[in-house]
Amino acid sequence: MIAYLLRRLNLFVVTIFVVTLATFALNYLFPGDTLENLSGISSHQTAEYNQIVQYHGFDHNIVYQYGMYLQHLWKGDWGISSSSGNDIVEEIKLVLPATLELSVYAMVLSLFIGIPFGFWAGLRHRRPIDLGILSASVLGYSIPVFWLALLLILFFALQLGWLPMSGRISLLYDIPHYSGFILIDILKSDIPNKQDALSNAIRHMILPTLSIALVTATIVIRITRRSVADVMQSDYIRAALARGLTRPQVFWRHGLRNTLLPILPQLVLQFTTLLTNAMIVEVIFSWPGIGNWLMQAVYVQDFPAIRGGVLAVSIVVIIFTLLMDIVLRVINPLKNRDIHGTI
Amino acid sequence: MGQSKLYLEDHFPSPVKHTWIEFRRNHVSIIGLWIFLFFVAVIVFAPGIAPFSPTEQNTDVILLQPAWDNSGTIVHLFGTDSLGRDVLSRVIHGSRVTFGISILIVLIAMLVGFSLGAFAGMGHGLRASVLNHLLDAIMVIPTLIIAIIIVAIFGTGLTSCMWAITLSMIPKFIHLTRDLVRNACHMEYVTAARLDGASNTRILFDSILPNMIEPLVVNGTFALSVAILELSALGFLNLGAQAPTAELGAMLSDGLEVAYIAPWNIALPGAAILLMLIAVNLVGDGLRTALRNRLQQ
Repeated sequence: MIAYLLRRLNLFVVTIFVVTLATFALNYLFPGDTLENLSGISSHQTAEYNQIVQYHGFDHNIVYQYGMYLQHLWKGDWGISSSSGNDIVEEIKLVLPATLELSVYAMVLSLFIGIPFGFWAGLRHRRPIDLGILSASVLGYSIPVFWLALLLILFFALQLGWLPMSGRISLLYDIPHYSGFILIDILKSDIPNKQDALSNAIRHMILPTLSIALVTATIVIRITRRSVADVMQSDYIRAALARGLTRPQVFWRHGLRNTLLPILPQLVLQFTTLLTNAMIVEVIFSWPGIGNWLMQAVYVQDFPAIRGGVLAVSIVVIIFTLLMDIVLRVINPLKNRDIHGTI
Repeated sequence: MGQSKLYLEDHFPSPVKHTWIEFRRNHVSIIGLWIFLFFVAVIVFAPGIAPFSPTEQNTDVILLQPAWDNSGTIVHLFGTDSLGRDVLSRVIHGSRVTFGISILIVLIAMLVGFSLGAFAGMGHGLRASVLNHLLDAIMVIPTLIIAIIIVAIFGTGLTSCMWAITLSMIPKFIHLTRDLVRNACHMEYVTAARLDGASNTRILFDSILPNMIEPLVVNGTFALSVAILELSALGFLNLGAQAPTAELGAMLSDGLEVAYIAPWNIALPGAAILLMLIAVNLVGDGLRTALRNRLQQ
């Protein structure tokens, strides 16, 4: 286990290193002045110019510059946004939790929808109910997430007027920033209309969460169904049935655990897709998350912000993958063989 | 099946034919294949089918309802958009751009992925290991992020997006090829070929490649559906095709401004993407099932 952890940690460090190197290279690749892309300050003539040059190590060679860059990243100094003039780390601290909140709720919801339906379809493999669920999942799998979000807005927000179509919470409420997760923040805060604020935030959350969750749930259904169908056709299940166990007994004692094991790693792989979908949906619902923030940065060509956002999202994805790898390894020690088997 | 069996002769179809026979047994997949072929026909004959030019603005009929609505006319079957352009023509040309470029993306990614993957699979030691680690690093980064980087460097446009999606897709093909090649290397027919003195290149193309084509095609169809989805998503986010170009995603974002009074402007291009994706996914699912059934026998 320790060897495994070390190996993972090594890979983690290497990957982070590659990502920082790539983002450092971006400063040179982006159009415009490298130093400006790095610091976000456009001040060629001002007195501070020499100070900035020195601060970023631009009076030395490129290796030294990269060293300085790493040092600044580590200290939490990611430059300032060239469009708003704010500190990038501070801005990311505001927007990243919003995205994570959306992703987490969507993921939980999609698992709650996807896994039961997947099991249902898998246990009734090749019967009408299976075909029904499978067709619905092919349909859902093929719906572009941004189109689904638009249709939901058109129907629930514009046609019926049940739910708000954009934003995170009504502007009437002023929620102090605490964790960035709005539901937690509301519960932690001591504003007068706590109940109203909570229900308002939840109403804002329904449509974006639903559009991401529906698309993800169809993938969960497919993965679960395949795994359940494969396991239920395997020899040990047939042997258990031959010994006279009833179908529910066989399923709860032998089926369930064996089906869940192969599902988990595949679900982890879906996290990237989920995050991408969340970032697209944010733009549609004007959700103040990192996807929306990054898109605005792209539209106004705010290069320091783009670099910071890219770095932040990459680090989130990498850390998540690493943690999940370790969790999977703890749950399923058989995975051990993979890492030793391959080069 | 009018053939009478005169002799007790076993019929052994070739692997590809066998897969096709399995594929044909699933009617839904066949329907998917027909829709797929329909879209291919649309790509090829788009200028011939489309009644109007996709950029021609007819200011007399702005925001005309589709033909099935009471106030619609048969001249503009799908109605017109806010600039008086014929939506049907735009959907046809948009399908051409979205679907055609997605196919191109997948082909390029497959070709590059195959070459590098074969290199990684046949090679050993440090080079292959470094390549693998680098790939793992790229693979975890979402496509949207790669696209944002590329767009930030080269500016918005269809070409930038095309390269972004290709770049994010290549690692998956490398992984696939590498795993397939590595598994095949332990097969006896490969050892036999090696004992006969065949070079690495020859083994790759004569012994391994024929067995790899089907999994590659199956993954190619799934990659195609991802490519369509991402290309239209980037178009929708205004990172891809720019205003006058008819691209389905960009059309959706154009229609957004008039979504409330002219919902068909976002319903129809979206439906085209949906139909395209359903076709590709059905064909992909069918091929994968067919392949699994063949290998199980």
